[in-house]
Amino acid sequence: MAILTVENVSKNYGKINALKSVSFSVPKGCVFGILGPNGSGKTTLLGIIMNVLKASSGNFNLFDEAATDEHRKKIGTLLETPNFYHYLSAVRNLKISAAIKGHGEDDIDNVLHTVDLYKRKDSPFSTFSLGMKQRLAIGAALLGNPDVLVFDEPTNGLDPVGIAEIRTLIKHLSAKGKTIIMASHLLDEVEKVCTHVAILKQGNLLASGTVKEVFEENDIVQIAAADRQKLRTALEGLNNYTRLDEVAGQVELSYKSGTADLEAINQFCFNNGIVLSHLQLKKSNFESKFLALTN
Amino acid sequence: MKTLLKIEWLKVKNYTAFKVISIFFGVGIFATNYIFYYFKKNVIDKADPTGFLSAGSPFAFPKVWLTVSYYSGCILILPVLLLLMLVTNEFTYRTSRQNIIDGLSRKQFIDVKLMSGAILALASTVLVFITALVFGFIVGGDFSFAGIENLGYFFLKAITYNFVAILISVLVRRTGFAIAIFFIYTAIENGLSLFLFGWAIGIKEDHKIDMGNMGNYLPMNASDGLLYSPFATLTKMAGSKLPADYTSLVLTLALVYLALFFLWTKNNFIKRDL
Repeated sequence: MAILTVENVSKNYGKINALKSVSFSVPKGCVFGILGPNGSGKTTLLGIIMNVLKASSGNFNLFDEAATDEHRKKIGTLLETPNFYHYLSAVRNLKISAAIKGHGEDDIDNVLHTVDLYKRKDSPFSTFSLGMKQRLAIGAALLGNPDVLVFDEPTNGLDPVGIAEIRTLIKHLSAKGKTIIMASHLLDEVEKVCTHVAILKQGNLLASGTVKEVFEENDIVQIAAADRQKLRTALEGLNNYTRLDEVAGQVELSYKSGTADLEAINQFCFNNGIVLSHLQLKKSNFESKFLALTN
Repeated sequence: MKTLLKIEWLKVKNYTAFKVISIFFGVGIFATNYIFYYFKKNVIDKADPTGFLSAGSPFAFPKVWLTVSYYSGCILILPVLLLLMLVTNEFTYRTSRQNIIDGLSRKQFIDVKLMSGAILALASTVLVFITALVFGFIVGGDFSFAGIENLGYFFLKAITYNFVAILISVLVRRTGFAIAIFFIYTAIENGLSLFLFGWAIGIKEDHKIDMGNMGNYLPMNASDGLLYSPFATLTKMAGSKLPADYTSLVLTLALVYLALFFLWTKNNFIKRDL
């Protein structure tokens, strides 16, 4: 079952295309990271799914059905900033969230313990620090023990201890079989907690799939010769590479990990009348893959 | 709707401004009327012992229904301020987003706001009813419900003010800005209303065409215009110079404007990005 299916969703703000025909699917039980730099459209996408923004075109399904208000009640969501009534205490704010979601108030104390705010439960929201506000928002998302959680930049504003706690919490929730959709601009965060990933850049979906698929380690072969055009034309005749790029005057061939054969490439070029001035094998890592995808 | 109203109650019951404004409003309705009562008793009655101007006490039954409805209108600005704050707060705190995210539909969110506006107007009307009863029994006169329709006009005025407040809040979303726009708009409309009133007098004088008091054809002045000053003798003195009061036309216009405010508010909130 797919928790969320996004089909060709686009969003325009006037002339700016914040999302350009984005499609992907979030399977049940995964930790799905939506990764992208600031302004890449992550929050816009989640805002559309949560009905606070209107898509310019395209549609999406929740729980394999056309999305309704009832579906949102079954999803715990923290979108962008913690949104609470400033003059009300933590507990009173959570009572409102619980009432909207149609839950009782029984698990409010539990949730406050989970996010370590129980001692401050009667303090007004306006007196909270940034990190406490963020924790309360995560707490509100946990109300009613939903099977699906959506966290937009969940570690925003938290100190290193808080960040570690939230990551542990996410892993813990995932281990209990919950589906978590998480937007982040932190590569490291996605790498540490996600099983699946979608990469957004300037509203374009660059890749999506399991973290393994998207960030699979590659062999990259850097090749240079005096006549670059001739080199490129010749290399296009090779057939077992996955991708060909020209970077800084060199041609880069990507291969699945462990399949690049430098000797064969050298021989091939020589047979085509090209003498190489440079031939080097590099291993791509998570970060270089991300940079390659987004640049 | 009951559940939605319960959620609204959770939002306001611990809001200091709500408590303060409610108390001021309750006391204010009584106090405003008392000030006019006092003024009538101690100033006008002394200056005009024959009762020519007021033609009997405006606070005696059955005239009290009109009088209290008319003067209580002065402090309808209090529920307006409360609604401007409550609705713009939802945008400032971005709880309008969170409520939708948590599972309210946009329609539910805006419907319960409009319903709160209607309930506040109803509560104001009940207060006016009680205040009128109190003054009526203090001053005397023959108890009767003649002129009770003025309470209905008061309700229409209150709900119009409240819906305008909600509309402005939804359109501009920022508290200070919304309050400023409300005051600027009412000032402009009242100025325009006065101008149109003068114009209607001119047209009647010069062309013998009675267009009615055109000042009352404007959105907020339509519901204002249904309640006449209890000191009607003063206007009667101007006699035939004044344009006629087309009450049913003004009432129809007031209802049409109210429906427009309602639909505009709903439509805007349901369609816009939050």
